[in-house]
Amino acid sequence: MSFFRRDKPTVIAAFTRGPGHTVLVDLRAPEAGLLADLLRDLLELLDEEGLAGPAGPASAAADPLAAELGLENLGLGELGLDEEGGKRPVDRPNDPALARLFPDAYPDDPEAAAEFRRYTQGDLGAERRRRASTAIASLGRIPGGGRLTLSEKEAGAWLGALNDLRLVLGTRLEITADDQEPGQDFGPDDPRAAYVPVYYYLGYLQETLVEALTG
Amino acid sequence: MVTSTPVEVERPDVEGVTEPVEDADRPWTTIVWNDPINLMSYVTYVFETYFGYPKTKAHKLMLDVHHRGKAAVARGSREEMERDVSAMHSYGLWATLQRA
Repeated sequence: MSFFRRDKPTVIAAFTRGPGHTVLVDLRAPEAGLLADLLRDLLELLDEEGLAGPAGPASAAADPLAAELGLENLGLGELGLDEEGGKRPVDRPNDPALARLFPDAYPDDPEAAAEFRRYTQGDLGAERRRRASTAIASLGRIPGGGRLTLSEKEAGAWLGALNDLRLVLGTRLEITADDQEPGQDFGPDDPRAAYVPVYYYLGYLQETLVEALTG
Repeated sequence: MVTSTPVEVERPDVEGVTEPVEDADRPWTTIVWNDPINLMSYVTYVFETYFGYPKTKAHKLMLDVHHRGKAAVARGSREEMERDVSAMHSYGLWATLQRA
């Protein structure tokens, strides 16, 4: 089947409602590959900044005693706690895309914002990681492309992960106004231009997923 | 907010801004701010799903965010509003809390 066949063109994938509370999507291999790549990039971005929460490698405990006892995952470091059992302070991410994923809760009160971040950012990063990992794992069921059947829970993870991808990509594309044409100010050699259609594609996919979940 | 397909939306009247009455038990509000990336349909979905608002209310709040730049979407104790803001951040919405 090919897009160029007039009798039966292949359209871009769309999520639809399946039997029970499932959601279906037909993905060709290149689409599935693109989505998996983007989701892995998202995980990498979260891990680099140590924002992937307790499950992320960035916070892996280097406590030999804990390792010996098989308690690597139970160390204070893993829980984001310092030696007094208090939560460690967390800085606002410098990367604008990450700052968009982890915004300040108190815009006019830096102290309260830092306190909020300290108690929520680890869990929020872990949740983002979980959603992206769930989506990647589901794509593993259709290695050569094909029909993907998602449980309600998986569909929820996909919705959050697609939104995270769009927030990161939209920030990278410097989308700052509702009526802005993404990429219109890019020079001819700007490598980001290639991601403008990807941004639109993800928006279309997400729109169909919202419809499938509510329609 | 944006939509991936063009839709007709009614522009709400500007003077319809209602200030919630002072309420000692609910002194904080959760504010959701407009951003150019989140889809309008998705924001409505979040208001329906997380707050349990009826579709009409969720849609109206979404339009308030879109046209006025922000909307107060919940009101309650500081702890409750911190929980709501944290949930909004998880959904990818740009939310803050402040005293009502």
